[in-house]
Amino acid sequence: MRLQILLAGRGGEGIIFMTRILTEGLFRCGHPVISTETHGMAMRGGSVISQVKVGGYLSPMIRLGEADLLLATSPEEADRNLPYLRRGGVLIVNAPLPGPTYIDATGISHRLGNPRGSNLVLLGYALSQFNPLLSLTPFQDVVAELSTPRYRLGNLRCLEEGWKLGKEQRGRENL
Amino acid sequence: MERVLLGNEAMAWGILEGGATVVTSYPGTPASEILEMVQRIREEQRLKVHVEWSVNEKVAFEVALTNSYLGRRSAVAMKQVGLNVALDPLMSAAYTGVKGGFVLISADDPGPYSSQTEQDSRYLASFAKIPVFDPCCPQEAKEMVKRAFELSERYKLPVMVRPTSWICHARQGVSLGKIEPVDRFPSFEKAPERWAATPRFRYLLHRELNDKIRDIASRNAPEPVFLPERADLAVIASGVPYAHAHDVIRAMGLEGRIALYKVDLPYPLDHRIDEIVRKYPQTLILEETYPLMELQVGYREGLRGKLDLTVPSEGELTPDAVAQILSGLLGEDVTERKALPAAGKRPSLCPGCPHRATFWAIRKAVPQGIYPSDIGCYTLGLNLKAVDTCLCMGASISQATGLYHSFRSAGKSPPSIVATIGDSTFFHSGVPALINAVHQGASFVLVILDNGTVAMTGGQPTPATDGPGKRVRIEDLVSACGVDFMRVVDPYEVPELIRTVREADRYAREGRGVAVVISRAPCLIYGKREREQGEIIIADDCTLCGLCTEKFECPALVKGPEGRPLIDRALCANCGLCLHVCPRGAIRRVEV
Repeated sequence: MRLQILLAGRGGEGIIFMTRILTEGLFRCGHPVISTETHGMAMRGGSVISQVKVGGYLSPMIRLGEADLLLATSPEEADRNLPYLRRGGVLIVNAPLPGPTYIDATGISHRLGNPRGSNLVLLGYALSQFNPLLSLTPFQDVVAELSTPRYRLGNLRCLEEGWKLGKEQRGRENL
Repeated sequence: MERVLLGNEAMAWGILEGGATVVTSYPGTPASEILEMVQRIREEQRLKVHVEWSVNEKVAFEVALTNSYLGRRSAVAMKQVGLNVALDPLMSAAYTGVKGGFVLISADDPGPYSSQTEQDSRYLASFAKIPVFDPCCPQEAKEMVKRAFELSERYKLPVMVRPTSWICHARQGVSLGKIEPVDRFPSFEKAPERWAATPRFRYLLHRELNDKIRDIASRNAPEPVFLPERADLAVIASGVPYAHAHDVIRAMGLEGRIALYKVDLPYPLDHRIDEIVRKYPQTLILEETYPLMELQVGYREGLRGKLDLTVPSEGELTPDAVAQILSGLLGEDVTERKALPAAGKRPSLCPGCPHRATFWAIRKAVPQGIYPSDIGCYTLGLNLKAVDTCLCMGASISQATGLYHSFRSAGKSPPSIVATIGDSTFFHSGVPALINAVHQGASFVLVILDNGTVAMTGGQPTPATDGPGKRVRIEDLVSACGVDFMRVVDPYEVPELIRTVREADRYAREGRGVAVVISRAPCLIYGKREREQGEIIIADDCTLCGLCTEKFECPALVKGPEGRPLIDRALCANCGLCLHVCPRGAIRRVEV
């Protein structure tokens, strides 16, 4: 499998956490994976991106027009980074808007009582697009391991809810 | 065993698998996680290793180096501009050499993402005449740290490993080995002609160093990776640009037309590179960020790189740029230009950050001042127009001195000068600057922003935090520097802080000397602060003047429809600083 994923958001929204879960989960599925994350000055609420590449790449950077999946925490960050998405690539954005591209991760995470877990709703939703190529289990394991005890259950609930909604959405599309 | 690791974590494993017994660092993006991981592994495996966050890079270098004088292996890690601070011991250590392996990791930041310069540490390796490894991915970075120990010990020479941001902050499956217990004991053999060499011996040591470097340069030929029968172009690359070139050549299906060579040691460059250049009609050198290999090539016919402007001389080298350069050199159409992502949101101080309160108070107290500042989170005081300069670590204080004497020497009375510096930066190199300011009779306000940690780089300790030895108090240092005016204020007490800065400004403007205000409150991310009671609201008497959303620039205060300020409850720290901002008192705290 070759797959290039770009994550876009702002410092503090959990982009690094999502990237870690993706990288570790894909690695445990047996895929050669390399990813990047932004630290330092750029992380203080500024726009940041991270990149995850699967399939024997040496370079961790994604070229313009080559991302298979663009995951954004807001429509603004999605718009800005659209040049990275390849033609026919999948776009998934956190926003309370209609259509399969959008998921109201913020609203859902609030409803689940874990407002800081919107990144995991988004991630679960995105992962479901690759079902059955990818299963949820290794990612659940990673979330459980990397979350602090206080947020573990809430985080898992967010990831699972995103996955479930994504699967339902795809089920509707296939009707 | 293979584990997913950050490049910095991989290098930490390389350091300990390589048998280091002293590891030191000063935090700086992108190098900070190296020592953090060394610390974690030491604790997990109960290793007998001395690990320290030193007060600055020069000290870190010297502490680690000395362990290698005693025949044991040591490593020091820093960011590239930190190496400027440690350049003095580096230059001399190349002459004295070492007994045990000594590895210097200096992390570069092409882009730059989080640094003042895009400088190439490899130049400083070549300036000091020590070999430098240039890894292309986290796994290789770890291996190169171990190879660097071997090379260092074989030639009795410090060796540099130079990762860049996308090594340090890339994650990859990395194979781990066993960390063996070290059975070497320190032994100091007195040899003043080496360890304390006078100029007469320095000449001999220099000759020895030159011999070593010449020898190393004959043993590390570039390694062919793609070697087609007939190539139109050869690419010689090192570091992350090698990774880009490898992937781009493969993705474009050019393995049959382009020969690709990989260089592990860009300095000293093996002279056999000339034979490669001679063999092909064109040879392209790809490296970050300065042309180091390119300058060392002897045969220059058909040589392409930064010097002839084939490769951009600034910014990071992206795979897109590499693809475009390769297509151009192969005579293909390169007119297609892809749209770049637009500039995004700028970074800002966190909601509730004590620094925002301090900058706000400074602007209120001394609105017409000049504000020299320094390196840290608080450089973001730029957004509040309370930062006018940012040169390098510790420069806020010397630049305030420079401002003062510039006006004074012109016979003018100096304007209000309010310098800001963080606690860790003050320890790092602010102290000598303050001694100098006092002794040279400068008069200005110095606000030390003391949040008790190195916040920008992940909350590392400072000399004022708990450590193996005594805690060093900022107040003691300030008075020992000869400062007579010192006040300690909690920045959340905004009116008091404003009064104190005004008082300090009066003192300084009377020419009585440096007035120091220590603005002390823990970092909201790494420290602890009790959450205030009640909820902040914006009352109906708000006149939509926009002051709070535009000038205070708290991320939790956003402009809603018709310019109405709204509080983003998910971000708001409930600190109440904005209560002091509204001139009409329309921002209020109410009981809930």
